[in-house]
Amino acid sequence: MFDRATVLENAFKEHLENGNFPNIDDVQKPESVGLSPLEFIDLFETQIMTRHLDLMARRSKGKTFYSISSSGHDGTAAIAKAARLTDMAFLHYRDGAFLLQRKKHIKGATPLYDMALSFTASSDDPVSGGRHKVLGGLEVYVPAQTSTIASHLPKAVGAAHSIAMARKLDINDKVLPNDAVIVCSFGDASANHSTAQGAINAACWASFQNSPMPIVFVCEDNNIGISTRTPKGWIKESYNNKPGLEYIKCDGTNMLDAYRGAKQAINTARNRRKPVFLHMKTVRLMGHAGADVQTVYTSMKTLKTTEAQDPLLQTASLLASQNILSPEQILQMYNALGNRLARLSVQAFSKPKLTSAPQVMEPIIPAPCSHKPTPKLVSEETRKDLFAKDARGLTKPVTLAKQINAALGDILAQYPNAFLCGEDIARKGGVYGVTRGLLDKFGPARIIDTLLDEQSILGLAIGAGHNGFVPIPEIQFLAYLHNAADQIRGEAATLSFFSNSQFTNPMVVRIAGLGYQKGFGGHFHNDNSLTALRDIPGIIVACPSNGEDARKMLRESIRLAQSERRVVIFIEPIALYQTADLHNKGDGLWLGNYEAPAQDKTISLGEIGQYGKGTDLCILTYGNGYYLSRQAEKRLAKYKIKTRIIDIRWLQPLPEQAILKAIKGCKHILIVDECRKTGSQAEQIMTFIMENNIQIKTERLNGEDCFIPLGTAANEVLLSKEQIIDAALGLTGVQDD
Amino acid sequence: MTKQTALVVCPGRGTYNAKELGYFNKYHSDKKFFLHELDTLRQSKGQRTISELDGAGKFSSGTHGTGENASLLIYACAMADFHAINREKYDIVAITGNSMGWYLALAASGTLSLMDGAHLVNEMGALMHKNGSGGQIVYPIVDSEWKTDPKRVQLVQNILEDSRKTKSVKIYTSIKLGGMIVFAANDAGLKYLMQNLPEEEHFPLKLNNHNAFHSPILDAIVPMAKSNLSASIFTPPSTPLIDGQGVIWQPYLANTQSLYDYTLGEQINSTYDFSAAINVGIKEFAPDKIIVLGPGTTMSAPVAQELIEQKWLNFAGKEDFKFRQSDDPFVISMGMDDQRKFAL
Repeated sequence: MFDRATVLENAFKEHLENGNFPNIDDVQKPESVGLSPLEFIDLFETQIMTRHLDLMARRSKGKTFYSISSSGHDGTAAIAKAARLTDMAFLHYRDGAFLLQRKKHIKGATPLYDMALSFTASSDDPVSGGRHKVLGGLEVYVPAQTSTIASHLPKAVGAAHSIAMARKLDINDKVLPNDAVIVCSFGDASANHSTAQGAINAACWASFQNSPMPIVFVCEDNNIGISTRTPKGWIKESYNNKPGLEYIKCDGTNMLDAYRGAKQAINTARNRRKPVFLHMKTVRLMGHAGADVQTVYTSMKTLKTTEAQDPLLQTASLLASQNILSPEQILQMYNALGNRLARLSVQAFSKPKLTSAPQVMEPIIPAPCSHKPTPKLVSEETRKDLFAKDARGLTKPVTLAKQINAALGDILAQYPNAFLCGEDIARKGGVYGVTRGLLDKFGPARIIDTLLDEQSILGLAIGAGHNGFVPIPEIQFLAYLHNAADQIRGEAATLSFFSNSQFTNPMVVRIAGLGYQKGFGGHFHNDNSLTALRDIPGIIVACPSNGEDARKMLRESIRLAQSERRVVIFIEPIALYQTADLHNKGDGLWLGNYEAPAQDKTISLGEIGQYGKGTDLCILTYGNGYYLSRQAEKRLAKYKIKTRIIDIRWLQPLPEQAILKAIKGCKHILIVDECRKTGSQAEQIMTFIMENNIQIKTERLNGEDCFIPLGTAANEVLLSKEQIIDAALGLTGVQDD
Repeated sequence: MTKQTALVVCPGRGTYNAKELGYFNKYHSDKKFFLHELDTLRQSKGQRTISELDGAGKFSSGTHGTGENASLLIYACAMADFHAINREKYDIVAITGNSMGWYLALAASGTLSLMDGAHLVNEMGALMHKNGSGGQIVYPIVDSEWKTDPKRVQLVQNILEDSRKTKSVKIYTSIKLGGMIVFAANDAGLKYLMQNLPEEEHFPLKLNNHNAFHSPILDAIVPMAKSNLSASIFTPPSTPLIDGQGVIWQPYLANTQSLYDYTLGEQINSTYDFSAAINVGIKEFAPDKIIVLGPGTTMSAPVAQELIEQKWLNFAGKEDFKFRQSDDPFVISMGMDDQRKFAL
C-alpha cells in the first residue's frame, strides 16, 4: 500500500469507529496548560482542516500543483494560538496549521477557500495572486514566502532586531508593537543550512551582548529531510547550550504539550527579549511531497511507527478520553469539514489562473497601491546643525566618498526610518571612511556595526523593511556579496512577487566594489563581476562614476526604496572614492561641489549622463570605464575623433530607450565595460543593439574572464585607457601615428 | 435523490410589508401550535398577538412596521419558513442573517430555542421601540447591472468623511448590504444625508420605523439588552452560524458567552457586514443553494449583488443573475411565490 494518505485516513476513522485509541502515557487536561476545552477543540478543528487540505492536494492531480503536506506538523497551530496576531511569523512550508489557526480568527476571513485557491494557483488567491503556494497574509502578519532552504531565518532575526529600533526611534511606519515577538519556523534538516546557522548565530551574538532579540526559532523536528535521517539527538545537542539562546523542548504530536512549550517559548522571548529555540517534535506524514515514494528509503515498519504517532489521532484520543467530545462527534466534525472542503474546492478549482506573462510579472515591481510618501526635507537650520563640523570641508569641491558621506547625512536627516548597517561602518566609519562621522550625528541606533556576516546584514535590512524601515545596508566589498546573494536573489527581490505587492522590503544596498586599486587587495577587494545581480527581476542596480552623480543617484535610490518600495543595489567604485584628478595631477576635475537637497538637481531612474556631442564615436560605459573613457577622449580628440561618452549610470534595468536616443546619429559605438567579458553588461548592451537592428558598427571592450590578481598583474586583466584608445582607433579606422 | 446543501439567510426588519400581510396564515396554517406560543408570549406582555397582526384586514405601517410588532411578526414567518424547508432535499450547512436576521439565525441554528429566540426578538424589538433613536437610510453603491460603481463608493466615503466636520451630525455605516450601504444616523445626520446624497430613483431611501441600528448611536441599548436577557439561554449551535462580521460559529467549539457578548454587544453598536457574511457563506461552505427565508422579497437582491461582486458561479451582472434564476434558481427566495416551491 503506497497511498499512505488513504492508510492514514482509514486508520483515523477506524480508531474512532471502534473506540480503540492509542495509549497516551500522560493524559493532561487542557486546563493544565491554560487551554479551555473549547480552545482545545478549536485547535483540533485546525488539525482536521490541515489534514483535509493535505488529502485534497493528494487527490486532485491536475487541479492542484502543490503537495507538501502539513500533516504531522499540527503542533504549529498551538504556536499560533500561543502567540499574538501581531507577532510576525516567518513560516516553514509545513505550517499550514499555523496559518489556518491565525486566519480562522480574522473576522470575515475565508481560510479554507483561500488555501484551496493557492493549491490550484488561481489568480484569485489573495496571498500570491496565483503565483505560488505560499503561506502568508498581511492581516495575519505572515510575510508570504517559502522556506525551502531556510533562507528566511536572517530576515526573521532582522525583524526581531528592528522591534527595539522602531521603539527607540519612534518611527511612524512601524508595523510591529513594541512588545512583539518574531516566530520563525523551519525543519530539522534545514537547521543544517549555513543560512540557518548564520541567522541563529547572529541572534545569539546580539543576545549575548544584551541586545534585544525577541525571536522564537521553531525547529520542527520530524527526524528526516526528504530521505536523509537526522542523527538522533543532533538538534538537541546542537542547540541546547548555545550562548544567549534559550532551549525549550515540546512534543508537537501532543497538542497540549505543544501548547505548553509554545506558550513558554513565546512568553520567554516576549518578557526577556531573548531568542528562544523551540525544539518541537513532529512527524512527517504522507512523505515529503506527493511524488515521494517513501518505501524506497524507509521500511514499512518505520512508516507504520511514524503513522501511529499521528497527532490528529492523539488529539482525538485526548478529547474522547476526557469526554470533551465523543468519538461520534469527532467523526461528525471530521466528515463535515471534509465535505465542506470537497464542495468549496470544486469552486476554487474553477477560478481563473494567470494567463499571460505580463499578468504573472505584474508585482515584480511593487504596485502603486504599496507606495508611500517621501518625507519632507528638514529645515536649513537643522541641516546647519547637522553639518556644523563638515561645513568648511563642504565649501570646496569634494570627492565621491565625501559626496556619498554628506548625501547619507542628508538622507538620514530627511528619512527618520532610514538606518545604516554593515561591517565597521560606525566607529571606524567604513574601511574607506565613507560613513565617517555619521555615528556621531545619528547615534548607534541608526549607524550599526554588525557582526561579520553578509547574510545577517542583508537579513537585518529585509526584516527591518518588514517593520517600516528603509534600510541602507552596506556590503564591505563586492566579493562578499556572493556568499549572501541569495538574500537578494531568493528573498528581498521575490517578496513583492510572492505576495502580489502586499509585502515589500525596500532598501538601498551600498556595495563598495570594482577594480583599479593599484594592485592592492587582489580579487576579494577588486571583484569586478556584477553578473549575480544582472538577472534578478525587479531590482535596480545603480553605479555612479563621479561624486556629483553619486549624490544625486543615492537620493533617487532612497526615494525609490521609500516611495516605490524598490530594492536598489548601489555599487560604489572603490577606486574613484578618493579620485580628485582626471588628466593631470592637481586638475581636480573629478571633484565636485556638494549641493544641499533643496537646491540640487536630480537624476531620475534611467536617466543617463552624456559628455560631448561628437558623432564619430559613441562610448557606452559606466563606473571606472567612464572615468577611463574620459581620459581616453582627450587623446582621441587629437586624432580628430569627435566623441560622445555615455554614462549609463543605471545598469539594471538597462535604460534602453535612453541609450537608443543617445547613440542616434553616431557612426561607431564602443562599449567599455570594466567587468568580465562573460555575463557582463556589455553582452546585454550588444544584444539589445543587435535586436534593435541598429546599423552602427559596434564593438565591446571588457575585463578578462579572470579573477583579479595582486600587484601590477591586476592591470593585465582589467581594461585600460590605452586599450580604449586602441579600440576606438581601430573601430573608427583612424591610423595611430 | 442526492441531497443538496444550502446556506440559509434569515431576513431582517422591514421585510413584512403590505404585500406580506397574511403571510403566516397563507403558508403556515399547519403551525398553529407555534403561533399559539408566540401569541401567548405577546399577550403576557400586553402586546398585540401575531395572529391579530398577520390576520389584520389592512396593513398599517404605523402598526405592522414598528419595532415592537414587526420584529416578532417577521420572526414568526421566517422561522416557520425555516421549518418548512424540505430536509430530505436539503442539508443546511450554514445559517446567516441580516441585521435582526441574526437573532433569527441564532434560533434557526439551535443556539436559542424557538421560544427563547422569540423572547429575544420581541425584547429587542420593544427595547428599540422605546429607547432607540435616529434612523437608517439606504443608498446604492452599484450600477444598474449591480456591479460595484467606484464613483458611488467614493461618494459614500466622501459623505461619511465630510459629515464628520459638523459636530451635531452623526453618520455611520450601519449595514454593508451587498450593493447597498445602509447608513445609521441621528436626526441631524438623516437630514444631512437626505440633503447631500444625490437623488436617484427612490434613493436615498429612508427606512420608516427604523432606528440607527448597528451604530454607536445605540450604545445605550447594550447595557439595557444585557440586563434584560441572560447568557444562559445561549447553547452551542447545531449548525454553523455566520455573524455580521463574517465570523463562523461552529458546533462543538462556539463559546456561548462570546456569542451572547457579540449578540448584545458589537452586533448592536457596530457595522453589520452582511456582505461579509454572504462572502464567507459561499466561499467557506460552497452551498448548492442559498435559501432566503420569507417574509418579503427584498433580501435576494443584496445576496445576488454580493455573488456578482465575488464572481461566484460566474454571475456576471443583474441580467445574467435573473436569467439564470429562472429555471433552477441558485438563490431561492421563499418570500417569492414562484421560487418558494424549490425549498419545499
